[in-house]
Amino acid sequence: MEMAEFRTELHRWLDAHADELEPAFSPPGTLDEQIAQMQRVKAILFEADWIRYGWPERVGGLGGSPMLRTELGAALAARDLADPGLFSLIEVLAPTLIDFAPAELAAEVVPRLLSGAEIWCQGFSEPGTGSDLASLTCRAEPEGDATWVINGQKVWTSLAQYSDRCVLLTRTGPVDARHRGITAFFVDMDTPGVSVAPLEMINGQHEFAEVFFDNVAVPADRMLGDLHGGWAVAMSILPYERSSCFWQRIAYLYRRLEKLVEVAPDDDRAAEVIGNAFVQLHALRARSRVTQHRLADGQALGAETSIDKVLVATAEHATYDAARRLLPGVVEMDDSATGAAWRSEYLYSRAATIYGGTAEVQRNIIARRLLDLGSDE
Amino acid sequence: MMDATERDLLQQTVRDAFVSADTTTSLDSVLVDLGWLEMLGTARRDAVDIVFRSLGAVNGTSSVLDDVVVSALGIEPRADLAVLLPSFATWHAPGTTDGTDVSAMGVATARVATAADLLIACGTGAELSAVTVPRSAVEQRVIEGVDPDGGFRVVRVDRAAIGSSLGRCEWDAAITWGRIAAAHQIEGACRSMLELARTHALERVQFGRVIAGFQAVRHRLAEALVAVEALDATLTAAMDEVGPLTAALAKATAGRTGQIVGAHAQQVLAGIGFTTDHPFHRFLKRSLVLEGLFGSADEIATEIGHQLLATRCVPTLIEL
Repeated sequence: MEMAEFRTELHRWLDAHADELEPAFSPPGTLDEQIAQMQRVKAILFEADWIRYGWPERVGGLGGSPMLRTELGAALAARDLADPGLFSLIEVLAPTLIDFAPAELAAEVVPRLLSGAEIWCQGFSEPGTGSDLASLTCRAEPEGDATWVINGQKVWTSLAQYSDRCVLLTRTGPVDARHRGITAFFVDMDTPGVSVAPLEMINGQHEFAEVFFDNVAVPADRMLGDLHGGWAVAMSILPYERSSCFWQRIAYLYRRLEKLVEVAPDDDRAAEVIGNAFVQLHALRARSRVTQHRLADGQALGAETSIDKVLVATAEHATYDAARRLLPGVVEMDDSATGAAWRSEYLYSRAATIYGGTAEVQRNIIARRLLDLGSDE
Repeated sequence: MMDATERDLLQQTVRDAFVSADTTTSLDSVLVDLGWLEMLGTARRDAVDIVFRSLGAVNGTSSVLDDVVVSALGIEPRADLAVLLPSFATWHAPGTTDGTDVSAMGVATARVATAADLLIACGTGAELSAVTVPRSAVEQRVIEGVDPDGGFRVVRVDRAAIGSSLGRCEWDAAITWGRIAAAHQIEGACRSMLELARTHALERVQFGRVIAGFQAVRHRLAEALVAVEALDATLTAAMDEVGPLTAALAKATAGRTGQIVGAHAQQVLAGIGFTTDHPFHRFLKRSLVLEGLFGSADEIATEIGHQLLATRCVPTLIEL
C-alpha cells in the first residue's frame, strides 16, 4: 500500500474505532494500565492487520515500506492510544530477531510481539556500562555444545518485569576485547535463575528494572548472530531507534504542545514560548523526515543520526519547559489527573539527553565523525 | 525542477563565478550572465536555493533579492526594477496609496541607487496592490550600520505620484519567498562560519596540542553543526511545501541558527575572531542583518505562536 493511501485509510479506521481503542483510564494512569492498554491496542491492530504493514511476510507481516509501520506508531502516539516509548520498543526488538535469529524462531516469535501476546525487553546496559556499552561484563560460557550459561547483571532494562523474552548482550570473550568479545542471545525471562527488581524512576513509575542472571541456561540455538558478533546486533538497532522511534516520539511531542496550546493564555509571552517550542519541533520533524526517507531508500544510517538524537532531546526539553513556564504550579503542585500527567511527563522528559547515548556522547560522535576533528584522547 | 546533476553543475558554476568575479564587477551582472532571470521563471526553487546559499557562503553582496520578491508578486523581474522591502524587523507591506499618490518607508538593496523604478506594495490583505515610482521620487540613504558592505539603503517615498499601477498582488507570497531566500543565505553564511572555526581549531595549538582535541571546543562545533543541519532540513521542508508557515518556520530557524553558529564559532576563534584581520566578522555581521530582514527569530516565533493560540491547534505541516 502506498503511504498516502495508508495514512488516509488508517486514520479513517482509527476514527471509526475510536471508542474501542480509547484507554479505560484517564492519563497518565499506572504503568500496569498503560501496558494493558498498549497490548490491547496491539491485539486489535493485529486482528485488523494494521500492525502487520511494513513487516516482512516471513514473520507474519504484510510487507511494504517500513515507513508504513512508522506512520502507524505516530498515529497512535498522536491520538494518545499507546505511549510511544513503550510501543516503539517493537522497532528496536523485532528487526533484531528478523535480521539475526534463525528463520523459524523469528517466524514463531515476532507475530507474538506484534499481536500483543508478548512483551520483550532489551538487556544492554549494566551498572558499570552506561554510555560505554563495549565494556559490558555479563558473562556467557558454553556448557557442552548445546547450552550457554549466563551470569551477571543488567540495569535500566525497560519493562523487564513485564517481559516474556529478552534480547541480551553478553560477554563471551575477554573484557579487554571490548566490542569484539560480545554475543547476543534471545532469552526466555521465565528461565530458572532470571530475577527482576524494578527500579522506581524519578516520576514514581517503575518502567525499568535491574535484571539478575544466576547460572541461567540458554539453548545454543537462541544465539542471535554470530559468536562474538553481538556488537553488530547492537549496532543494527541504531537505524530504527534513530528513525521510526523518533518519528513516533515527535508525533507525541506535537500532541503535547497542542495540549498546551489548548489551555495556554493567548498573550505575547505564551505566544513567544509556544512559537519557539514549535520552531524547534518543526526543525526536528523536518530533519527526521529526511532521515526516514534515507533509510527507506536503502541508505545506511550512521553517525549523522547523532544529529537527530541531539535534536530530539533538545526539542523534548523545550516542549516540557514551555509547559512548565505557561502552566504555573502545575508540575509542582497540581494533584489533579491533568497535573499528574504533566508532572510525570515533565520529569520523564529530563531523561531525553541521557538514554540511548547521552547528548555528550552524541556530540563526541559528531565532532569526530562528521566534523573530522580527529581523536579527543 | 532540476535533477541532481544539473543542480550540482549550477551550484559549481555559481560558486566559481562568485569566487572569480573581480571587485569591480557586480555579482548581479555575473548572475544575469548565467541566466538568473530565466532560471527564476522556470526553476525558481533551485535557482533561489543555489544562488542564495552561495551568496551566504562567499559573503557576497547582491541585489537579486529584489528579483525574487518581484517575481513572487507575479511581476516580471528586470535588472532596472528595484523593490521596497519592509523596514528592518517587520514584514508588512511598506506602502500606502490613495490611488493617485504613494507614501512608503522601508529598506532596499543597493539596486535602488541605479534602478529606473521602485516597486512598492501598498495596503493590506485583499486591498494590496503594487505600484511603481521613478527613482527620482525616492529619498534614499545608505545604511552604514553593522554591515556597511551589505549595500542596504533606507528609503522614503513621500506622497509621490504613481508611475504605473501593476494591480492586485499577494504580499504573503513576497514574504514567503523573501524569507526563503534570506534563510538560504544565512545557511550559507553559517556553514562558512563553522568551517572557519573548524579550520582554526585544527591549526591553533595551546597547552601543547591543537584545540580541536579539547572536548569543550568539539562540543561547541558539534552544536553548531546540529543547528546548521536542522536549518537545512527546514529549508528542504519549506521548498517541498512552499507556504507562509513553512517559510516562516525556516526563517525563524535560520535566525536562531545564525545566533548559535555565530556564538560558538566566535568563541572557538577567540582572539582572532575578534579582529577584522580574519574574515569571520563579515559573516557574523551579515547574519545579524539577514536575521532582521523579514523578521527576527523571536518576532517570527511569537507571530507563529499567536497563530497556534488563535486556532488552538499544532499543525504537522509535513508528512512522510
